[in-house]
Amino acid sequence: MNKKKLSFLSLVVLLILTIGLTGCGGSNKSTEPEKSSPSASTPGSSPSGTEDSGPVIAGDFEVQYCVGGYGDAWQKSMLAQFKAKYPDVNIKESAGPKINDQMKPRWIQGDPPDLIFIDCAGGLDVLQAIKDNQLMDLTEWFKTAQNTDGELISDSLIAPPQSYDGKTYAIPYVFGSWGTFYDQALFKKNSWEVPTDFDSFLAVSDKIKASGMTPYIHTGVHMGYFLGGFLFPGIVSANGDDPSIMQDMAAMKPGIFKSEPVMKALQQVVTMRDKGFIDKAAVALNHTDSQIQFVQHKDAFIPNGLWVENEMNKDTPAGFEFGVIPSITQASGGKYIANPYTTPVAVAQKAKNPEAAKAFIQFMFTKKSAIEWAELTGALLNVKVDLNGTKASGLSMSASKYYSSPDLVVLPAVTFNADLQKEMENATLALSDGKITPEQWVERVDKASEKARGKS
Amino acid sequence: MTAKQKRGLFIASFILPTLVLYCIFTLYPIVKALYISLFDWSGSSENMDFVGLANFREMYADPIIYKSISNDYFLIFWKVIGIMIMAIFFAVALTRFKMRGANFYRVVFFFPNVLSIVVIAVLWRFIYNPSLGFLNGFLSFILNRKVEIPWLGDSQYSLWALLPPAIWSGIGFFMILMIAAIKSIPAALYESAEMDGARQWKQFTNITLPLIWEQVKVSVVLIVITSLNGSFAIVSVMTEGGPDNSTQVLGYYLYQMGFKQYHMGYASSIGVLILVLSLITTVILQRLMKREVVEVS
Repeated sequence: MNKKKLSFLSLVVLLILTIGLTGCGGSNKSTEPEKSSPSASTPGSSPSGTEDSGPVIAGDFEVQYCVGGYGDAWQKSMLAQFKAKYPDVNIKESAGPKINDQMKPRWIQGDPPDLIFIDCAGGLDVLQAIKDNQLMDLTEWFKTAQNTDGELISDSLIAPPQSYDGKTYAIPYVFGSWGTFYDQALFKKNSWEVPTDFDSFLAVSDKIKASGMTPYIHTGVHMGYFLGGFLFPGIVSANGDDPSIMQDMAAMKPGIFKSEPVMKALQQVVTMRDKGFIDKAAVALNHTDSQIQFVQHKDAFIPNGLWVENEMNKDTPAGFEFGVIPSITQASGGKYIANPYTTPVAVAQKAKNPEAAKAFIQFMFTKKSAIEWAELTGALLNVKVDLNGTKASGLSMSASKYYSSPDLVVLPAVTFNADLQKEMENATLALSDGKITPEQWVERVDKASEKARGKS
Repeated sequence: MTAKQKRGLFIASFILPTLVLYCIFTLYPIVKALYISLFDWSGSSENMDFVGLANFREMYADPIIYKSISNDYFLIFWKVIGIMIMAIFFAVALTRFKMRGANFYRVVFFFPNVLSIVVIAVLWRFIYNPSLGFLNGFLSFILNRKVEIPWLGDSQYSLWALLPPAIWSGIGFFMILMIAAIKSIPAALYESAEMDGARQWKQFTNITLPLIWEQVKVSVVLIVITSLNGSFAIVSVMTEGGPDNSTQVLGYYLYQMGFKQYHMGYASSIGVLILVLSLITTVILQRLMKREVVEVS
């Protein structure tokens, strides 16, 4: 027993000693001034770096991109074309399906690549990265930055970059959209009207329910889909189609979650719930399981993103025709609310060759590369372009038409604080399942927002 | 070199490599976690702000921590009961009774141990699927009406629903341990008991159980320690801690905080809590079980 005590004591002493020693090492925070790489030569570059013949783009240029659902064909092609235009640039591709994890130590050590496509699991959290001074402030440059065709990049984008305290750090390059999805063939067969507002949604849901099918399923475990496809558009509809409330929510403005538009949208959830339109099974299902139920016609509507058609390719029965409605929350005669989903590209704060990184951004936001993106990935690049005759998916193309309609309000792409997002998801799931009231939702989310605000 | 020195060198040559590996792979991560828990750190940048014990204070005020601890111990309690009862029952059945095909059953019960816990969790997720799953289908058939209970989606059932896969995956291993222990009991003891007229139940309570008690003790400690860290996989695959944190456990909350919500400092302090709880639980358990042994023998 004494021996046991002795060995336990020595372990504790060893632990304390080691903590002390490690503590002496000091913080990892690097206070070293940024070293400029000799290889990155930027003589005579203008701050905007817009002129084709202006800055000399040369030296090492490292790009980090994840090889995920979109593959890497487009990046490879773009980088090859970029190299052809700037032969003095030495491109290093840090890429692969797990590249975000592999590059993490480099970001932690303050040795990031020049340009990063923020995509896939484990990628940088934009808000956190900005807080950690990891992304370059592109505000001034972006105001006048032109693509290689001489057009202002800001004019050519479908979704503008998110503003963080009035500043621009990341530019969205993938463009997707949340919405409510349904099977066009099924609706035609049953003569169900495609809803155009909340009342017609409720009306058709009555008919669907009477037929024995559950009207609506959501992706329970991942409630972000329901927030993006239903709740947020609902809040904007209730706010008189003014999308600025989304930015206020993302900025965690005091009291914003207690406001009337939020309450009205929550009430819409309660209406659906109480009418028995929400599939009781949804709470237990993740996105894949609920999508399977949807394509198997267990449920008529699902909130989702434009990628769903591609994702469910192998599991979709023949004859299923994906259709999308931007929003189902507006009052009769109100505008559709389109809630975009974007994936951004950014320049590292500690980029060794920021001029090359900016030049590449100017290179990639052109109509030509947007068409190439659509051809190679079937998805949409965040650039306004006519995609008729391209290989972009039919669903993407039909959805992209919504974005030029005057009857449509496009929401700004906003990112929420991760803690707040999680609490909104948890509370919304509880609300949709009848476990809490809208007042309790507001109380919980407001509390989470207050806590997150205190930390930031 | 004296004989004593030679002996010392010989012993050191055995201990040193293990000690070095232990320091690198066990002690260092523990110390590093303790160190990180004193910082506000996102886990993906070089910015680390020293905040002292703030993470621990936050943990103290965080209701999800208490919920997780209670869920962890709920799972541990029922896992210990479930696994031990089933493992001992099957072990006795396969050794003491002259069962036909005992070897076949042994393989069948051990089979879940060969499968990855992730596979088991995915399998049970299918079983629990509210509309397409086996369980509701079976209940609908028995009750002759449509049953659509969201087993994993309703906080009333979700935590209980995690138990069958957790227990099922553990039985085989502990059953093998128990079989080995029972087989080491001298047959003469049972023979004389039988001659004295002791029935199976009496033999079990007076001979089998006391003589395998050491193995039962070790097994309980093993289940408890592996559970504190091991509920992660099942929770991660089956519920992701939901709905609304009803199945949250410390291990998964740590993962969520560190890798999904970018609070690596806070996650590390949860890691420290898990370490402390493991130590305390093991010590308490050793004490409790020791007393039992004295009573039995």
